[in-house]
Amino acid sequence: MGAPKTYIDAIVEAQAEEMRRDANVFVLGEDVGIYGGVFKATKGLMDGFGFWRCLDTPISEALIVDAAIGAALMGMRPIAEIQFGDFIGGAHDPICQQAAKIHYRTGGTWKVPIVIRVANGWAMGVGLYHGQANEAWYMHVPGLKIVAPSTPYDAKGLLKSAVRDDNPVIYLEQKAIYRVPWLKEELPEDDYTVPIGKARIAREGKHLTFISYGWVVHNCLEVAKKLEEEHGISAEVLDLRSILPYDKEAIITSVKKTSKVIITHDAPKTAGVGAEISAFIAEEAFEYLDAPITRVCSFDTPVPFYSKMEKFWLPTPEKLYTAALKLFEY
Amino acid sequence: MELSPKEKDVLRKPKELLEKPKLDEDHKPRASVDAKKRKEELKKIHYFLRLTREFDDRGRKLWRQGRMEGTFFSQIGQEATTVVPTFFTERGDFIGPQHRELGAIITRGCPLELLASQLLSRKTSQDKGKCHPNFWGWTEGNFLAPCTLMAAQTGVAVGAALSFKMRNMHFIALTFSGEGGTSKGQWHEAVNFAAIHKLPVVFIIQNNWWAESVPLRLQAGNEDISKRAIGYGIEGFRMDGNDVPLLYDFFSEWIPKIRANIGPPVIVQLDTYRWYGHSEIDPADYRAKEEVEMWKQRDPLPNFESYLVKEGIMTEAEIEAVREKALEEVQKAYEFALNAPEPEPKTCLEDVYAP
Repeated sequence: MGAPKTYIDAIVEAQAEEMRRDANVFVLGEDVGIYGGVFKATKGLMDGFGFWRCLDTPISEALIVDAAIGAALMGMRPIAEIQFGDFIGGAHDPICQQAAKIHYRTGGTWKVPIVIRVANGWAMGVGLYHGQANEAWYMHVPGLKIVAPSTPYDAKGLLKSAVRDDNPVIYLEQKAIYRVPWLKEELPEDDYTVPIGKARIAREGKHLTFISYGWVVHNCLEVAKKLEEEHGISAEVLDLRSILPYDKEAIITSVKKTSKVIITHDAPKTAGVGAEISAFIAEEAFEYLDAPITRVCSFDTPVPFYSKMEKFWLPTPEKLYTAALKLFEY
Repeated sequence: MELSPKEKDVLRKPKELLEKPKLDEDHKPRASVDAKKRKEELKKIHYFLRLTREFDDRGRKLWRQGRMEGTFFSQIGQEATTVVPTFFTERGDFIGPQHRELGAIITRGCPLELLASQLLSRKTSQDKGKCHPNFWGWTEGNFLAPCTLMAAQTGVAVGAALSFKMRNMHFIALTFSGEGGTSKGQWHEAVNFAAIHKLPVVFIIQNNWWAESVPLRLQAGNEDISKRAIGYGIEGFRMDGNDVPLLYDFFSEWIPKIRANIGPPVIVQLDTYRWYGHSEIDPADYRAKEEVEMWKQRDPLPNFESYLVKEGIMTEAEIEAVREKALEEVQKAYEFALNAPEPEPKTCLEDVYAP
C-alpha cells in the first residue's frame, strides 16, 4: 500500500502498469502525449513509454477509434481516449458499426480488444457540450461492454480488466470525481483486477435499495447515511460498476432483500440506463416489490450551464432523500 | 438523363481524359523489371481476373434464379482495380475492402468454397450466415469483412498500418473505397492521419463514376480526387483502372517500395466502371446506354487478353484453357455451397462477444 490515490491517479497507474506488462498496449487520443491529457489522465506516459505508445492525434474522433480497431486487429491492445463524452458522436460509426460487430460478422474469428476511455458525465460548470452522460447511447449496442467505476480502487481494477478483455470496452471516467480528496484511498501494491459485469454493494441495507453507477453512487451513500442517522432507515447502495453487461443477479438479490428500489443517474431519465434496469426488475422480480420503482434522474433537457440551474437539474442528494422517504413510507 | 458537357466528352474520347500515371522518369522504361518475371506475373493476374469474372457471373445468376437471399453486388467491369493491387500484397499485410472487392479477396487466396458458402448463407462460410452474402471477409488472410458504411474500413486500415510502423514491421495496409466514399469525413480523417505519420497505406479509390445513382460531378468539386493528395502532403495518382499492364507496372513498383520504407501512403484513383446496378435490385437507369456500352468496350479482360497474345505472353488456346479451368473451379465451389448445410437459427446468438 502506497500513499492514498485519487480517482485519476488510479487511471494513470492502471495504464502505466498495463503498458509495462504488455508491449502491445498503447494510448492514443487528443492531447494525450506532450500535454498528458486535458485532465492529466495520461500524465508521464509519453515520457515513460515514448512517442508512439502515448500518441497525440489530430482532432479526429472517428480516426482515433478506427485506428485503435485496426491496430487491435493486428494484435495490439490500444486504449483510445475520447476527451469528452460529448465528442464521442464523431466516433459513433467506428464504435457501433465497426468495433461492436467485427467479432460477429467474422463468425467469431477476429477479436477487437480496444478500450475507449471517455471523460463522461456531469462536472460543475461545464454545461451542454462538456457535461453529458451518454452511456445510454451505447447500452443499446450488442457487442460493446460499458463500465463506469465510482472509486479509485474500481477505476484501476476495471481499467486493467478492460485492457485485458478481448472485446471493445467503453470505460466511462467520472470527471466529477477525478480529484476529489475525500475519495482518496490506498491501493494494493500487487496487480489486481475488478471483473467486468459484477456489481458491488457499496453499503448494506434492508429497507430500500439505491441502484446507481459512477459518481452518483456517492450521492446515494451520503443520503443513506442521513436516512440511517435521522430516521433509522437502512438503505442499501448497489454500485453497478458495469452498465453492459449489468449484474442482473446482484440486482435481483438486492430487490428480494429490500423490496423497494430507487434508480438514479445523472443522464436524462427517458430511455436512460435506469429505464432498462427498471424494466428488468419489473419483468424478473415484480412479485418481490412492495412499491413502484422510483427513478431519480436528470431532466430530459440538455445539460444546463448556470450553477443554480445545474443544481435544479441534477439528481441531487436532496432529491434522493425526499424520494427515499416517500418510498419508505409507501 | 441529360449528360453534362464533360460526360459527353468522356463518351467521345475517353482515353485522352484519363491521365497516365506520373511515374518517376527513371522508372519509365522499367528496364529494371525482369521481363520473364513480369510475364509470369501477368499470367497469374489474368487467372485471378478470369476467376473473379466467372465467380461474379455465376453469383449473379444464382440471385436471378432466387437461390440466394438478399441482393448481389456485382463488380463485373471492375476486376482489374481490385485484382492487380492485391496481387502485390504479402502474408501479413492488411486489406480493408469496401463492398465490391471480390477480385481482392480471390487474389488474396481465400478458398472459393468459403465465398460461395457466404453467398448462399451456409454454415460452411466464415460468417456462418450472420453477415450479408456479398460482404466477404477472410480473417486468415487479414482481409476484414466489410462494414457496409462507406469508407468505414479506411481508418481501420490506417490503424493496421500504424501498428506496423510502431513495431517496425514491413507490411502495408491496402484499402479500397469508391469515389463516393471519399466524401465521408472518415475518409479524410484516415488519409490525414496516415499522411502525418507517413504510414504504409495504399488508398485505392475505385472511381466507377456512380455512387449508386449520384454521378461523380455531384460527389466532388474536382473529379480527379487523387489531387487531394497535394493537400495532405503525399503522392496521388490517377490512371485508367481497366488497363491491366499499366496497373501492373505501377503497383509492382509502388507496393514493394512502400513496404520496404514502411510508408509513406499513396492515393491511387483508378477510373473504371461497374456494368450493372449498385446491386441486382438497381436497374441503373440513371446512366446513359451509350455510356454503359462505351465502358463495355473497355472491358479490362478481353483488352488484356489481346495484349497477352500480342506480346506473346499467352496463346489464344492458353487463354481459353484458363477460362475453362476458372469455370470449373467456380462450378465446384458453388456445388459445394449448394450442398452445404444451413446454419441453425439459434446460432445467431453466438459470437456477439469474444470469450
